[in-house]
Amino acid sequence: MVTGFKVMNLLYCIKSLAALCVIFMLGGAGIAAAAEVEAQLDRESAAAGNGAILSIKVSGSDAGQPELPTLENFVIQPRGQSQQIQMVNGRTTRSISYTYVVGSEVPGDYEIPPIGVMVNGRKVFTKPLRLKVLDAAAAQAQGGAAGGAPQEENEEDEAKRFGFLTVELADAERKHAYVGEIAPVRIRAWLPAESRAQLRSGIQPEGKAFTLHNVSGQPQQTEEMRDGKRYLVVTWYGGMSATKAGKYPASLSLNATVAVRDRSAPQPRRQMGGPFGDPFFDQVFDQMNVPMVEKDVTLKSDDQLIEVRPLPVEGRPAGFMGAVGNFQMDGVEIPENWTTGEPQQIGVRVSGSGNFALMKAPELLPGDAWKVYPGKASFSAGDEASFSGSQTFRFSAVPRKGGAQKLALRLSYFNPEEGVYKTITSAVKDLRVAGDDLKELPPEPVPEASQPEKKPDALLAQRAQPTGRVELAPLSERREFRWMLSLSGLLVVLAAVVKGLRRRWSDPQRAAGLAVEKATREALSTAERCVVAKDVSGFFAAARVAIQQRLGSLWGQAPQAITLAEIMERMPADSGLVKLFREADRHAYGRDVSGELGREWQDLLDEVMGQLRPPAR
Amino acid sequence: MKILQILGCLLSLGFGVVQASEVSAFDAANEKFTAGDYAGAVAAYEALLEAEGPSVAVLYNLGNSYQKLGELGPAILVYERARMVRPRDGDVVANLALARKQAALADEQAQASWVEVFFQHLSRHEWACLVAGAALVIGVGSLVAAGVRVWSRALRGSFLAGLSVAVLLMGSGAAALYLRRGEADLGIVLAAEAAVRLSPFGSAESLGSPGAGRKVRLGQKSGDFQFVEVPGTSLQGWVSAKEVARILTNED
Repeated sequence: MVTGFKVMNLLYCIKSLAALCVIFMLGGAGIAAAAEVEAQLDRESAAAGNGAILSIKVSGSDAGQPELPTLENFVIQPRGQSQQIQMVNGRTTRSISYTYVVGSEVPGDYEIPPIGVMVNGRKVFTKPLRLKVLDAAAAQAQGGAAGGAPQEENEEDEAKRFGFLTVELADAERKHAYVGEIAPVRIRAWLPAESRAQLRSGIQPEGKAFTLHNVSGQPQQTEEMRDGKRYLVVTWYGGMSATKAGKYPASLSLNATVAVRDRSAPQPRRQMGGPFGDPFFDQVFDQMNVPMVEKDVTLKSDDQLIEVRPLPVEGRPAGFMGAVGNFQMDGVEIPENWTTGEPQQIGVRVSGSGNFALMKAPELLPGDAWKVYPGKASFSAGDEASFSGSQTFRFSAVPRKGGAQKLALRLSYFNPEEGVYKTITSAVKDLRVAGDDLKELPPEPVPEASQPEKKPDALLAQRAQPTGRVELAPLSERREFRWMLSLSGLLVVLAAVVKGLRRRWSDPQRAAGLAVEKATREALSTAERCVVAKDVSGFFAAARVAIQQRLGSLWGQAPQAITLAEIMERMPADSGLVKLFREADRHAYGRDVSGELGREWQDLLDEVMGQLRPPAR
Repeated sequence: MKILQILGCLLSLGFGVVQASEVSAFDAANEKFTAGDYAGAVAAYEALLEAEGPSVAVLYNLGNSYQKLGELGPAILVYERARMVRPRDGDVVANLALARKQAALADEQAQASWVEVFFQHLSRHEWACLVAGAALVIGVGSLVAAGVRVWSRALRGSFLAGLSVAVLLMGSGAAALYLRRGEADLGIVLAAEAAVRLSPFGSAESLGSPGAGRKVRLGQKSGDFQFVEVPGTSLQGWVSAKEVARILTNED
């Protein structure tokens, strides 16, 4: 299978190559023999130090490079080339465009002589071209004069320099609106393409004739050309409505802070050339470095007159209650079984586009056998600007006549697009109403729980009672705060010290060591007392205890378990310790023990205890 | 003993006199407001602030008086001061929102994230008190834990839970104080025509006008000019010091 695919690919490649060869062969044969060379400058004059673009277009099959002339104080620098091949009806034409930057640092009139190009073996020349190189100051003045439009035009340009608004009916074919209609409008803020803008207010109508509704929260942003200029266009959609007929200017305004490049700022004059050492690229660099100027502006739209027409009297249905737009009715909910005098809920959904705020619930048809009470309406927007959507009505109705009945719902509205009134009726429903006909009006149904009151958009009342003095500076900005934190840190450190000390004091090894030392000290003290009292047995018994305690501590054994035999195993036999312990043993276990307690035993005990230093803790 | 009683009576008498004078001045200012003399009410409330120091009621009533006069910049300034002390005061928040709306300023509450709303639920002073209290609890608790030899199991659990709550509160408070550390440098533009200039001179080029009531970040002062940055914009420069005021005035 894989091999099959490889063969297929190979065949496809061969076919493609063959087709390309045929195209090139045909193309080569069809390339026009006619040779043509054109040269042109993109401008007639340029400021000293700035460049103009020279383009040379050479048409022909076998063309060489243009032979550039040399002029005094005049620079011609190549900036690339491009090639175009066109095939029209089997005829192929090829052209090469060469681009150069030309210019001079010295003002004056320069003539670029005819430039020769070898095409199809013969030399073809361009027409001579002229370039006026101006002094930088003169060039700026000329630039101003070139735009020498009337002063009013300049003022208008200046007013729109930071942008402007346009407002138009979303339906471009319509030039009028009706009273009560929310006419969809498109509002566009035109900002210069390289500007930065920050909106400082919402869009406001300038006059009182129109009211602006439901301006879209998320405007669209596009880039568009207008009068040859590039703009960043921010587009909102909203609705405008008028309550009185007539012709009114639909002007809007918007406060914004806009920063644009200050083209009037003086250009830097360089003594040593620009960062690229090239007039063309330096010019681009300079344009990027034009300073920004920021200004608080009010963007305004032109006063476009919009005709507001009254709703026609002719053809107005009896049940018309102010709905303007284009609507459909669906979702009709009418219960089948009723009892006279007992209210039940009827529901209906009206969808479409238009002024839902002025819409009332559809009426019952026939209405004379029913009593209807105002209910609730909930609107669900179908778009961001709430032009379209659906409004659901729920209201209570009470039948006043018993028996079988037919019931439908009817809504009349004015369609502003067609300029006519329309009436829509739901499907007729058969009902069964129990009970006798009512002679009097039924009592008012229990009103539905009212919605919580919204806080009025007004200043709340003064405080009648004074409150205590407060400090505006928070505690964290005061010295006391740092003291408190320092104190708590100190307490934590203190706690750590206490904890360490407690751990040290409650160490069992340390406690055992202290007990041994205490017992040793007591034994030595007893020995001293026995020396004074010349109590030989007591001295050696105390000495024995002292040695056992100290050795027990050193060797990690119970003091009572230390015997002469063990000492003799671990200590030299002629050591003072062995001698003293043997004598102590003799006094402890001998039958007839006598002798005097000489000073040498006391000294020997001191020496031995000096040698057996307790372990450091 | 008798001397102490006499001293106590004198002290309470003095305190009562001070309270009475404060109440009467407050009532007098309120009467001016009720009579529609808003300028007089402003002067009376300002005098009360000067004499007795700031209080939420006086700041709130002063803000209402400024708002009635149409001076939205000073109104927003005193409301902001009141809100920084009592951020949960519904009347202050509502009237501040109304003033900001009238000054065509964005609704700050609507733009705040839930984290900002959480940390702004308490004032910086309250957060600082919470941090200091929690720190002291942690310090004393540590000392007690180090000193007590025997713990019952229940006591140990309660103690650890309390300490954990204190650590949590201290952490939240520290985070709130850190995130709101820049509030000490906030100011309010008082005049609608206040211009942000390129340099601290009256003749310097105007870069734009932030508008009355706009919250700005204050920088250094140079002579009669104050450097400001308008948050959320690239506008920054020098404003006449008379046209801008710091929200928190009595910093240490």
